[in-house]
Amino acid sequence: MKKIFSNVFKTIRENIFTPWGLWLTFLAIVLSIALVAGILVFWKGLVITNLTDLVPWGLWITIDLSSISVSAGAFSLCAAVYLFGLKRYAPIARTATFIGLIGYTMAMLALVLDIGRPDRFYKAMMYWNVHSLMWEVTMCVMLYLTVLIFETMPIFASLEWLRNKYPALAHKMEGMHHYAPFFAIIGLGLSSLHQSSLGAMYGVIKARPYLYKPEMSVLFMFSAIIGGIALTLFASMLSSRLTSKAKINDALIERVSQFLSYLLIGYLYFRFWDWMASRYMHEPGRTEAYHLLTVGPLSFNFWFGELLLGILVPMILLLYRPTRMSPFWRMLALAMVVGGLVAFRYDINIVGQLAVISYLPGESVVSYTTYSPALVEWASGMGIVAYGLLAFSLGVKYLRVVDHRITEEEHETVTVNSTEAVHA
Amino acid sequence: MTENNFNRRDFLKLSAVGIAVAAGTQAIKQADASGGKKGEHQWAMVIDQSKCTGCGYCTLACQAHNDVNPDIEWCTVLEAGEVNGKKIYLSRPCMQCEHAPCVEVCPVGASYYRDDGIVMMDYNKCIGCRYCEVACPFQARSFNWEAFTGDNPAVPEWGTPEVERRPRGVPEKCAFCYQRIDRGMELGLVPGIDADATPACVVACPTGARMFGDLNDPNSNVSQILRKHVSYRLRENLGTGSRVYYLPADAEEMES
Repeated sequence: MKKIFSNVFKTIRENIFTPWGLWLTFLAIVLSIALVAGILVFWKGLVITNLTDLVPWGLWITIDLSSISVSAGAFSLCAAVYLFGLKRYAPIARTATFIGLIGYTMAMLALVLDIGRPDRFYKAMMYWNVHSLMWEVTMCVMLYLTVLIFETMPIFASLEWLRNKYPALAHKMEGMHHYAPFFAIIGLGLSSLHQSSLGAMYGVIKARPYLYKPEMSVLFMFSAIIGGIALTLFASMLSSRLTSKAKINDALIERVSQFLSYLLIGYLYFRFWDWMASRYMHEPGRTEAYHLLTVGPLSFNFWFGELLLGILVPMILLLYRPTRMSPFWRMLALAMVVGGLVAFRYDINIVGQLAVISYLPGESVVSYTTYSPALVEWASGMGIVAYGLLAFSLGVKYLRVVDHRITEEEHETVTVNSTEAVHA
Repeated sequence: MTENNFNRRDFLKLSAVGIAVAAGTQAIKQADASGGKKGEHQWAMVIDQSKCTGCGYCTLACQAHNDVNPDIEWCTVLEAGEVNGKKIYLSRPCMQCEHAPCVEVCPVGASYYRDDGIVMMDYNKCIGCRYCEVACPFQARSFNWEAFTGDNPAVPEWGTPEVERRPRGVPEKCAFCYQRIDRGMELGLVPGIDADATPACVVACPTGARMFGDLNDPNSNVSQILRKHVSYRLRENLGTGSRVYYLPADAEEMES
């Protein structure tokens, strides 16, 4: 026992001052602080957060929504590769699937912190209210997480330790990739359902005029696909620059980035249209919420975070060939898209709650409330992010998650030989 | 033979259509019932703003009878402007909506309709996601951010607790003192007439500004006064169909 410990300490001593060691140390510190914060939350209850009866959903919900939406790269790229036949992007889809698994587990962690009765988490699966969008989201997320576990099995099968210790199991897990097209179909269905339903969850809240609009689900779906692909590409490029374990094919990433720039044009159009249509005429509650967004406390988030840096600048950077070809500008643009998505989710969640519409009779009176996350919310929230970063870093190092040299064998392709000569 | 064959096919077609129609009507029926089943009674409350003096007895009686944390008010009293220089108040319990947003959005069905229209909370089912709080147009729900462990300052002056305290981590709200209604009716009392079968806030009101009764009974006090008097409901434009009616403050009535 003593020997094992001395060995562990020796390894730590030798490796701590390498970049990898420092990175792990940093993440370990963030995670330990988060662990303390998390224990405090479970022990003292949600009273130590800055959440109130007027703003019951805060930073954690933003982390939950964001991590689910940046996981959308998994289903969209898998659909592209296995359903639309763009097979050469398979290595990117592999990275996206792994990010998806991390993202959804991050969302689960955020939810466990956020719900008042984490001990009753399982009841969400036992008792069904099929009228509730949150029920639908819960079901789809649970099922999709299962799909993601199966989809990522071939990735985990490449773990050296598993291959040596349980070769038969590793072989079985590897074999899962034969079913990739089927998982892609199920994943596409489940993801389309819950990514848009997350928006609809807000869109059906009649009590809050800013949120009550049908385009909410379209915006959530669209932005999730963009953000999910952007994060996958950014993470791949960044890790290839930081470690020799990650190998990318820049031409593939450049092509997907170009596609992303077209998606951004479409997304900008939707946002513009949504913004113009919702601004038209005075509607109590909605107009005030827009006021918070455009000139109020969230205006920096809205104009810079969501629109300028989140859509417009990266769109131009990715459309303009010289900047798209430059890895630096491309990475910057991709990171901006992800940041814009997080800003969008934060604003959507918070702004509808900040403008409080009174129920007193007569002309609707709208008052404002405030919310800024408490330290304990930040600490535990950052821990969830750190967990995601740690999981991805380990994946890159030990599972070759970002390796565009890996080519999987063809799926379900049947070669048909013509029996007669064809005359063109 | 051909004739016979044709007939059989016709019969099959007809029965298929019949089954489809039956299934369709069943589906429509079910959709109809989604807004809560209509039972024998439909409890409703009427609050007369001409009589309300804003004393807050309703809040205190509610806190005592339902053992509510002093930080939480199931029935809250707000100032609502002036008529002829006299302040007007608005007392707001849960609206017991016919199409309650909280019931529709609850992922586990912890909020549900009773046959008599009361919107209930199953505090043992609730996972504490707070979607109902976000969805309620009347801010009628309060979350238990921490456990209520101390003494209830409203007890025993304003009454004695009749229900269990809610645990930490679930939202709570008014349920028209269902426990008083149920116990009272078991004893053969009539809610709205006999104090022991009537919500605590109605009983406690010193000016008689609150009335309670059955909307299904045309002779009940609430049915009668709603026929005679102009009334309104809060945020009626949302179409939630609330079961709390307000009689607007009337200058003449306030004088008398």
